Amino acid sequence: MNRNTALKALCCLVLTLFMSPATAKVFRYPESSKPSSLMPFFIENMSAVRVSEFIFESLVTKNKRGDIEGVLAQNWSASPDGLSVTFQLKPNIKWHDGKPFSAQDVVFTVNAAQDRGTIFGLKGKYRFIRSVQAVGNLQVRFTLKKASKKPEELFTFKIIPKHHFQSTAITRLDRFSKYPVGTGPFKVEKNELRLIRLVKNPHYWGRAGIEAIELMHTPDSNEQINLLKYSGQGAGVQNVIFIPPKSMSMFENSDSVVLEPYHTVAWWYFAFNHKNPALSDISVRKAFALALNREELLEAHLGQGDLLSGPFTESSPYYNFDVEPREQDIEEARALLDQAGYKMNGGVRSKGGTRLEFDFLVNKDLPNCQPLALSIQADLKKIGIKINQKFVDNSLYQEQVMKQRKFDLTMNIWSFEELEDIYPLFRTSGVRNYINYSNQEVDVKLDASRKESDHKAYKELMKELHMMLNDDLPYIFLWSLDIYSGLSRRVTNIFIQPYNYYTFFKDWMLK
Amino acid sequence: MSSRLDETRGWSLSVWVFKRTLRSFALLVGASFLIYATLRTAPGNMVDLILGINGTEEARSALRAEFGLDQGIIMGYGEWAVRALTGDLGRSITFSPGDNVAEVASSAFLVTLALSVLSLIVSVTLAFALAVALGRPRPKHNLLLTPLSYLNAAPSFVVAIVLTSCINALIYMQLEGGGRMGPSWYPIPTYQAISESLAPFSFAMISISLGDGLFIDLFNALRAELRSVSGAQYMNAVRAKGAPVLPHMVKNLIVPTLSIFTARLPLVLSAVVVVEYIFTLDGSGYLLLEAARVRDVPLVVGVSLFFIAAVICMNLILDLVKAAVDPREVTRVG
Repeated sequence: MNRNTALKALCCLVLTLFMSPATAKVFRYPESSKPSSLMPFFIENMSAVRVSEFIFESLVTKNKRGDIEGVLAQNWSASPDGLSVTFQLKPNIKWHDGKPFSAQDVVFTVNAAQDRGTIFGLKGKYRFIRSVQAVGNLQVRFTLKKASKKPEELFTFKIIPKHHFQSTAITRLDRFSKYPVGTGPFKVEKNELRLIRLVKNPHYWGRAGIEAIELMHTPDSNEQINLLKYSGQGAGVQNVIFIPPKSMSMFENSDSVVLEPYHTVAWWYFAFNHKNPALSDISVRKAFALALNREELLEAHLGQGDLLSGPFTESSPYYNFDVEPREQDIEEARALLDQAGYKMNGGVRSKGGTRLEFDFLVNKDLPNCQPLALSIQADLKKIGIKINQKFVDNSLYQEQVMKQRKFDLTMNIWSFEELEDIYPLFRTSGVRNYINYSNQEVDVKLDASRKESDHKAYKELMKELHMMLNDDLPYIFLWSLDIYSGLSRRVTNIFIQPYNYYTFFKDWMLK
Repeated sequence: MSSRLDETRGWSLSVWVFKRTLRSFALLVGASFLIYATLRTAPGNMVDLILGINGTEEARSALRAEFGLDQGIIMGYGEWAVRALTGDLGRSITFSPGDNVAEVASSAFLVTLALSVLSLIVSVTLAFALAVALGRPRPKHNLLLTPLSYLNAAPSFVVAIVLTSCINALIYMQLEGGGRMGPSWYPIPTYQAISESLAPFSFAMISISLGDGLFIDLFNALRAELRSVSGAQYMNAVRAKGAPVLPHMVKNLIVPTLSIFTARLPLVLSAVVVVEYIFTLDGSGYLLLEAARVRDVPLVVGVSLFFIAAVICMNLILDLVKAAVDPREVTRVG
């Protein structure tokens, strides 16, 4: 009898431990990397960009149609000279801790961002502001360094609460980075090593359709796909941000998962280090461009996308459709190298003492980089160019390629928040010109574009630059990808913002 | 006379324990310095990772100073070591910004250690039970042992992946058919803390015990020990005297079993690092891999310190137990 009771108790214990039903109504999604920080200034990766959309709000944002709309700001007026703008803030907005939001918080955010003691990479985003001043509790006036036709477009940065900080010099190790306080629809309830749990903000001024969110750090993309595949009835995950092409077929006719395409302003490129004497020769760069079969590379390794001929995506207003992407032409590539004096010598071309043999550094985090690099190597071998691949982790890549510029060739992606800004990429000594590219004609056009305030004229300048860059090949412009997210069919009313992703999440519903 | 002998033995034991502890501490200092120096000199650093291509040189040097990376390796280590002696292992910088390394690393290490030690205890107990049950080796045992050793030869992470896939697929099939609610730990990985569900921890334990040849190794070693002890002359004497056999056998089995246990611990610890990653347990394996990816020097050094300390401590405990069971150890080693 006793033995039976003990056995029953044991069974009950095992059942409660192993068989309790999953909790529903929680929106769960995996991220490949942990958010760098939950503090807006220290957002340094895309997972942090996405999660901050739940927590913080800005004065204005672009709505689903792409027009500027007030979030914390009710309305605004710019001075006729475009050098100042005044925002009227919405009343009765509260922080997650219940304290009222005011103009002082906006002033504090700008002062903190501009404080030399607050060190972060994207300080440039706040440099356009000359001064900021609170006029009463609900009005804030900015003066700008440069006139702008639509100055309100620049105020999409997130606002942080003044009452949580002692000074405007904020360090990244502050506890606020882990348990932030914002005005957004969700607040952080739990922030553990692998899991961040957010719950509805009880003080939120608007409405949010979903009760709670869980962000899980899942570095392995196969694991993310498994979680989505086995999801349903509250288990698993409801959203995988990026579905790799090889896993697309798994969900194409799925009853529980829908593939949602979304457009990102991002393009792939193959870059040359122009300090390398052989690579500074345009004939060599052209031969590279003609040797690559980009269509095949794209289809074999990355799926669907558009082949590009310049530094813009096809949906960008600056894309110049008159410039055709180069097609593979091995014969012409060989002829170019012959004309430039590079003769075959044991399978690798050389001229004088210069051999066409290069180090190709690739960031391991780049999707499908290894097979892709192998195919590139095979294409280039056909014209007598030898490349030695080196796959390095992100931190080493940042140091060796971006900072020390010790590389010959590399491949990477540029992602933009909205429209492509190519000035820092190709201007001689531009901040992102890590390839040591310098072309006076390009510089002149880029400088002119910086001064241009007329949108039409700016567009023309970009189209001209597109053509020039396709001729001069600072990079070989590769492609932009068709990106798909996987979402559980239980999630409805979905609208994905191309860069910040969860901007319109408060409208999403979970059945 | 006998009390003087005890006194001498007690004194030499104290000296021996002191010497052993000192040696262990020196080992800990040396190993932590090596790890610190390796991390500091490894290519890629957290400042470049944080500021990316946008950072100015001024910002870079300010951050280097803030994180203590502007000092030389010896100075930097010295400062770290002095703080570490007071229990302060610094704060995480890039992986979990602002978190106290000692707290994060110790709670994660506790998971790893518990998983390793429990898996080992389970394996040792089962192996011992099987060894006792089977008794003397017989050819028919191979019918059981050969397939078992083949199965057991797979690395534990492979066992973990196969186990996960099978369980997920089976439950999924069942759910598709019946439409009932799945268990809370489905699908694996579940991302639940140990306090919420013991399932991930249990699955990890099964994977460790079933993989890397752990079980079969322990079984073979224990069976050999069991045979040599039961066949020893002093056991014949015990039997002849009519005294209980088991206490004598157990006492003589403690040292060899503990030696196997200690020798196996570092291997199991490294297997756990991968397995806990698969079952999303917040252990030090996950912490170590991810912190190293973002070059979080204080966190990586902190977690490694716990690993080294655990192995050193286990060896120290083994020596002490050996000394307690068999006093000849003190004079032999010490």
